[in-house]
Amino acid sequence: MSTTTHGLGGLKYDPSRRARAPEWNVFFALIGIVLIFELVGRIFMGDSFLFNTRDNVDAIFNHQRLQIIILQVSITGIIALGVTQVIISGGIDLSSGSIVGATAMVAMSFAQVAMVNGNPNPKAIFAAQGWLDLPVIVPVMVGLGCGLLAGFVNGALVAYTKIPPFIATLGMMVTARGIAKWWSKGNPISFPTDSYAAIGKGMMPVVIFVGLAVLFHLILTYTRYGKHCYGIGSNEQAMRMSGINVEKSKVLIYVIAGLLSALAAIVLSSKNLTAQAGMGVMYELDAIAMAVIGGVSLQGGRGSIIGTVLGALIFGVIISGFTFLKLDAYYQEMVKGVIIVGAVVLDQWRQRGRGRG
Amino acid sequence: MKKFLIAGIATLMGTSAMAENIGVSMALFDDNFLTVLRNGMIDQGKAIGVDLQVEDAQNDVAKQLDQINNFIASGVSAIVVNPVDTSATQAMSDAANAAGVPLVYVNREPVNVDTLPEKQAFVASNEVDSGTLQTLEVCRLFKEAGKTEANVYVIMGELSNQAAVVRTKDIHDVIGGPDCGVKINILDEQTSNWQRDQAQNLMTNWLSSGAAFDGVIANNDESAIGAIQAIKAAGIDMGSVVIAGIDATQDALAAMQAGDLDVTVFQDAAGQGAGALDAAIKLSKGEAVEKKVYVPFKLVTPANIGDYLAKN
Repeated sequence: MSTTTHGLGGLKYDPSRRARAPEWNVFFALIGIVLIFELVGRIFMGDSFLFNTRDNVDAIFNHQRLQIIILQVSITGIIALGVTQVIISGGIDLSSGSIVGATAMVAMSFAQVAMVNGNPNPKAIFAAQGWLDLPVIVPVMVGLGCGLLAGFVNGALVAYTKIPPFIATLGMMVTARGIAKWWSKGNPISFPTDSYAAIGKGMMPVVIFVGLAVLFHLILTYTRYGKHCYGIGSNEQAMRMSGINVEKSKVLIYVIAGLLSALAAIVLSSKNLTAQAGMGVMYELDAIAMAVIGGVSLQGGRGSIIGTVLGALIFGVIISGFTFLKLDAYYQEMVKGVIIVGAVVLDQWRQRGRGRG
Repeated sequence: MKKFLIAGIATLMGTSAMAENIGVSMALFDDNFLTVLRNGMIDQGKAIGVDLQVEDAQNDVAKQLDQINNFIASGVSAIVVNPVDTSATQAMSDAANAAGVPLVYVNREPVNVDTLPEKQAFVASNEVDSGTLQTLEVCRLFKEAGKTEANVYVIMGELSNQAAVVRTKDIHDVIGGPDCGVKINILDEQTSNWQRDQAQNLMTNWLSSGAAFDGVIANNDESAIGAIQAIKAAGIDMGSVVIAGIDATQDALAAMQAGDLDVTVFQDAAGQGAGALDAAIKLSKGEAVEKKVYVPFKLVTPANIGDYLAKN
């Protein structure tokens, strides 16, 4: 641990250290993995991973595959944006996946239509109250409210009770999953309004993910809040002594993470046209893995949104690549685990080299 | 307190009239499928004039065993158990057997199913049937469309789940067997962990390879719906592909009404409840009952969907 923070001196910001941005290494890893799939595909499958090989389509690239690579990680990617900020500030958030489950259930129950194929909606939660066919703003605000509340509880627990973030968010993980199951007694909630369904339709998840990534990249790089994230993560005591309200910043960090999880839940339930209590299971770990692969240090103080986006892309390329190669389902998870650990080991080696130099 | 009162009243009624009195212990009340099963049993009880005492084990193995011992102590004529934990059934079988009270397990297969004592039975649906019915119907649809050869994708449930393993095996058995009549090639089979979202992503990945396919066989409806959403997003005509799921959920039935889903399979929860009660009554009268009573899965297609809209 001492080697990674050695010489950084807490708040001291040294531009020359950031000149060789570690994100480049992640980027090269991404290119490398793509090349491996392209090569293996050409040799063993007689097909191209990235390029179009179909006669009936006139295009250089296989657009459909490029789209799904990013589409399938954009929802966990939205979560990863918040998780990145939490980890940079030296914390951890295990509750994201459960917040997705609970928020999806609550938000979807305010987004239901009254009639399905000419019959009353068989899954209507608030049929008795007549809360059906509501304007889309209602489920969205209710959903974001859930995320805000969960994030606030996480942040307040971490900042004011001083219990470790691992425990605080573990508690939220279990509780929020319980709420997700209790909300409709385990029943799925389906059949949303068209306007709600439009939120996650087609490539909308990607648009939302990329838009938020740009936004939070700017926020982390140029705002005081961003500096506080890095500062708290590298040297909390120094921040405190500089008169910065660390507690307030921490609450804000977890609130933002909660809001992003809630937004991911809204996009996910809209894309799938359903909400289920089991939604989002393991998403928190995928999001953490994306950040870590992207060079965000679990010791805090180091990492970036760009890195996390690249980490998410690596995830997407791997999932699509495995399916492209028709790798047996049983092997996929094993290989995925190896890649996550391998990425962090490589990163550690690289960091050690930098620390000595 | 309320439970004791109900138990007391039930016992009084049971002894005053010579009617059958059946104790039922459900694993939990707040499960959708099990609630349909429970209601099926209660309706059957009303229809044939049998007193039912239904209790909720709240997913607690110890509580369930206590309930069974209480049933025995209060002199019920038979017991129906929907086990909380299928590996904890030996103690229940022993307790009922020692007291000479008939016991019927419903829906979840007890670990000791092959060594059940006298006057005990197991009522459920045979998991092998669901995948078989599903795949045979897919074969029939291909034949009807005049195909002699067809390419399909298979979406599996959670790889560690018994139902997913059996249903996938059924697909292979039917395709490899003599009954299909169409040569079906599996282009690829992957897991969606029962999840709609993962199935949607998986299907889009498959579509990106551009291989021509004629159908998708999924281990459950959620996965089939995910595949449908991906195929529709890619602008492929749903009439040109056969999509098959299992469960007959409300979402699936809506998809079938919309013309997207072609095949699903209904697990008759109410039928299992009624069947379990019938078996319990027969056993209590000393009649013989098969050790394993299978309530058939039912194929649901656009032709008979009307019968199932209100069932799940």
